[in-house]
Amino acid sequence: MSNTNSLLTIKDLYASVEDKQIIKGLNLDIKPGEVHAIMGPNGAGKSTMGYVLSGREGYTVDSGSVTLGGQDLLDMETEDRARAGLFLAFQYPVEIPGVSNLEFLKASVDAQREARGEEAITSAEFLKEAKIACKQVDLPVSFLKRGVNEGFSGGEKKRNELMQMLLLKPKLCILDETDSGLDIDALQVVAEGVNSQRSADRSFIVVTHYQRLLDYIKPDFVHVLSGGKIVKSGDASLALELEAQGYAWLQNAPAEDELEG
Amino acid sequence: MSEWLESAITRAQNLNDWLAPKRAHAIELLTQTKWPTRKTEAWRYTPLRPVERTKAGVVSGDANLSPESITGLEAIELVFVNGRFDATQSAKELPTGLLVSLGQDVDSAQQTVALNAFSTIKPERHLFGLVNDALAEDVILVSVAEGVEITQPIRISSLLSQGAESHTRVQVTLAKGARLTVIEDIQAQGDTLSTAFVEYDIAADAHLDHYRFALQTGTNVSIGGSHFNLHDKSKMHSSIVGFGSDLSRLDTDIIHAGEFADAKLNAIYLLDGKELFDLHATVEHAMPNGTTEENVRCIVADRARAVFNGRIHIHRDAQKTLASLNNRNLLMSDKAEINTKPELEIYADDVRCAHGATVAEIDKQALYYLQTRGVSRSKAQVMLNFGFINELIDLMPNAALAEWVRPIIRERFAQMEVK
Amino acid sequence: MTEQIDKALAREYEAGFVSDVESETFLPGLDEDVIRRISGMKNEPEWMLEWRLSAFREWLEMEEPEWAHVDYPKIDFQAISYYSAPKSMKDKPQSLDEVDPELLRTYEKLGIPLIEQQMLAGIAVDAVFDSVSVVTTFRDKLEEAGVIFCPISEAIKKHPDLVKKYIGSVVPKKDNYYAALNCAVFTDGSFVYIPKGTRCPMELSTYFRINEQNTGQFERTLIIADEGSHVSYLEGCTAPQRDENQLHAAVVELVALDDAEIKYSTVQNWYPGDEDGKGGIFNFVTKRGICHTNAKISWTQVETGSSVTWKYPSCILKGDNSVGEFYSVALTRGRQQADTGTKMIHLGKNTRSTIISKGISAGKSNNSYRGLVRMNPGAKGARNFTQCDSLLIGDLCGAHTFPYIESRNPSAIIEHEATTSKVSDEQMFLCRQRGLDPEKAVSMIVNGFCKEVFKELPMEFAVEAGKLLEISLEGSVG
Repeated sequence: MSNTNSLLTIKDLYASVEDKQIIKGLNLDIKPGEVHAIMGPNGAGKSTMGYVLSGREGYTVDSGSVTLGGQDLLDMETEDRARAGLFLAFQYPVEIPGVSNLEFLKASVDAQREARGEEAITSAEFLKEAKIACKQVDLPVSFLKRGVNEGFSGGEKKRNELMQMLLLKPKLCILDETDSGLDIDALQVVAEGVNSQRSADRSFIVVTHYQRLLDYIKPDFVHVLSGGKIVKSGDASLALELEAQGYAWLQNAPAEDELEG
Repeated sequence: MSEWLESAITRAQNLNDWLAPKRAHAIELLTQTKWPTRKTEAWRYTPLRPVERTKAGVVSGDANLSPESITGLEAIELVFVNGRFDATQSAKELPTGLLVSLGQDVDSAQQTVALNAFSTIKPERHLFGLVNDALAEDVILVSVAEGVEITQPIRISSLLSQGAESHTRVQVTLAKGARLTVIEDIQAQGDTLSTAFVEYDIAADAHLDHYRFALQTGTNVSIGGSHFNLHDKSKMHSSIVGFGSDLSRLDTDIIHAGEFADAKLNAIYLLDGKELFDLHATVEHAMPNGTTEENVRCIVADRARAVFNGRIHIHRDAQKTLASLNNRNLLMSDKAEINTKPELEIYADDVRCAHGATVAEIDKQALYYLQTRGVSRSKAQVMLNFGFINELIDLMPNAALAEWVRPIIRERFAQMEVK
Repeated sequence: MTEQIDKALAREYEAGFVSDVESETFLPGLDEDVIRRISGMKNEPEWMLEWRLSAFREWLEMEEPEWAHVDYPKIDFQAISYYSAPKSMKDKPQSLDEVDPELLRTYEKLGIPLIEQQMLAGIAVDAVFDSVSVVTTFRDKLEEAGVIFCPISEAIKKHPDLVKKYIGSVVPKKDNYYAALNCAVFTDGSFVYIPKGTRCPMELSTYFRINEQNTGQFERTLIIADEGSHVSYLEGCTAPQRDENQLHAAVVELVALDDAEIKYSTVQNWYPGDEDGKGGIFNFVTKRGICHTNAKISWTQVETGSSVTWKYPSCILKGDNSVGEFYSVALTRGRQQADTGTKMIHLGKNTRSTIISKGISAGKSNNSYRGLVRMNPGAKGARNFTQCDSLLIGDLCGAHTFPYIESRNPSAIIEHEATTSKVSDEQMFLCRQRGLDPEKAVSMIVNGFCKEVFKELPMEFAVEAGKLLEISLEGSVG
């Protein structure tokens, strides 16, 4: 199934959290520029997938492989995965009091540029870019001076995640329930931001429980994750089907690959 | 009693100047004092071996030391070198409303006032406070006249050369409605021993911004006290930054002697190597309606040891007091040690008091978050540690001082990380 | 308002009566001869006497601790009688029928009927009266399960190997002044052994009663929970109302071997003295447990009595993954003084401890929490959470918190919080506006404040605790 021009290839992935296996045979192939939506009931392993891919402590891969741009992702440290172009937008971004947003962003951008062998960006230049990014996600510039996510509202945190994405210019963005806790206006801002970043060399995994977000971010593919693996795949219409019928009818359905096999 | 204390007493007995009554009283108390051991509560975690073993002694003559300058800060400099006031390096012209004098230079009436004020603010329970009473010779008296705001900060530097012993004492009086910023700065390297005590009397409606920097590290013994007496509606804001040494001990005492006084104290200490830093912060709410807010943060690396004792005492009459103490500690190494004791002693019922203390390692979630953005683990650690401390630097009222100390702390972290 | 609240808390000391029992009591005084006589009265083996004497010699060299936040006149240890037992106990009654009915009536009056048919099912009781155990109920039923529950004086003779192995193993002889004294002169107390893998079929309980004048009670309790066993143990204490202070210096040692669990609950209601601080028990107690791998010890205490309390039930978390808990309610009023808390010593990996302390101060009393949380270098991944709350009622009392926190392991996490509050006028107003009388309102608010601790008590004791804090408030406000 994997393809030489794939960006991300997940093969037979099994992964556990605290000795409990959550991901059980996940397969996914994403080509540059594609937008894949991952939907599924609560507890299906949607957030776990993002944590496993980004290498969060406590999330162990039992078997299977993941490559990003041909590189073995599972072999890398969390920060090296980020430098390789993986970006995870968190559902609940953590607050880091005392570390200013600007300092944090500059350190991230510096680390990634350095890893890519690019020249360091000057503080003045960076500030200019950061200000533009703020405007794009509709956050006041003053947020750059505040502690990372410190005292931000739910919507502000999500927009702050998006701003980081704009500045880091990743190859693969995983948006983990980016729509949760957002009102319709905030949702539109976030979606516009994401859409503005869609390009031929940037792919997205949009993890969501509801179809609503997909009205704004049109996916190329929709997958249903249930019991730790993808049980159904289709195009954007699958999301509408799920919206209408819920997930129950899928819980017992055989996996795609089993059908194929 | 230790040999060191005996010799200190003998030396004090040979001094004879206007401070004699105070000295005699201190000597009397000292001779009754038991030399602290591990069983002495105030020194439970801080052994006095470095004092017992010190080779520091009185160094006279020109030491050729001058205070490091602080960029962006035009301060009124008051300089002690090896315990003696250095008039040549100290400010000669003073703004209107500010008086600075050496105790031996004022008339006897003023000396009597000063003598009476001594130790009403600094508690007599403090062993090295008594040593300072007995051995300090040059005492500086600072006063700000009623309603006067001195915009330029006063900086009291205590400089010590290798092998020197120093006992400095300053009395600061803010009259009604006065405003003043004072920076206490100790700069010592090598085998030194110092006791540096400053007493502040802050009259009604007056406002003191206070800084104490103890950024010397190494084999020195540095013992100090900053003592504050707050009258009606007065305010104080104290920022303390300390690195450790063989023995660094600081006592801060805040007395709410008037109603509606407001005290804020933010202390940071960063310890590395085999350093020790011991902060004893005591707040006495003797009168009603006072507020106190204390934040103490500490990072301990390598084999260093941190000690904190934060006592809030609400007296029977101190109704409607609001007092809180927050103490957070990070341990960086499995050889490092933190001993902390936040205490509440409350005798009034209509008060709101709380303290919280945590000891933890670095926030793993935040570390992961930074790593997902591509920041290396070690860099992320420095950033988080710095952030933990930076929150308190941000609270410093004087921007120039904050900007001066920030990179010093940053550099300290970088060093702490290398190991 | 404060006056009303204080009145609401005032209560008669219901356990203050004196039983008319003829006793054999040693003359006051303490020397090696007295210790030999105590040992002789108990027919103890030689090794036990030697152990007592060595403790006594250590004690003579020790100094009375002065660090606690309590103030009381110096105790004259030569003015105390170290042994007193009802004469009727001399012939060692073999069954309940042979026990002096006056003794049974005493316990009945205290709400602890010793006749098995009348008892609450599921609780076995060891009743200790002054220096001797009067009766231990349900022994046969417990023996069926292999559980040993008997007076410690009996265990010394019948189970010398277990006693020898564990006595003084958790609280060493010279641990502290009062513990050393106890080692020298202890008279009775309970012994419990739960065999491997056994869940004790009933709650075990000891009821301590001081009756005789001028005596001290020095009881000693040793509980051993063998691997994988489980036991819940309850302890209650009362004494008559007298104008003189009486000393109670107990030692309790708990041993929880691998995977074992011990739950130890106390409702301490020694006579607290009168409003002016006259009389009352000096309660100087050393309680400590050791947890081996995966073991758990949970201390719950409701302290309402004694004129002076000095007590720190502690856990040594030696084994990996072991758990220590301390839940405490301490209520002081009148002139009572309490200095109580716990020590959690984390030695093993992933050890956990929880401390919940609720102090209520009223009248002219002083109530202190004193605690130590220590993370040793080996306590990798250990956790502690401490919450100390104080409630002040009136402006003549004191509430204090002295927590010692020591960490030597970077992966250990300690969280300590302390707050203080009062029963606010707003709270009282709300309750009363909804139709509650002031006593009910206060008891509700105080009970709410203590809820986290009460829920840890076994049901039977929760009732008693509730009684102490709530039912006694009824009708006391005019």
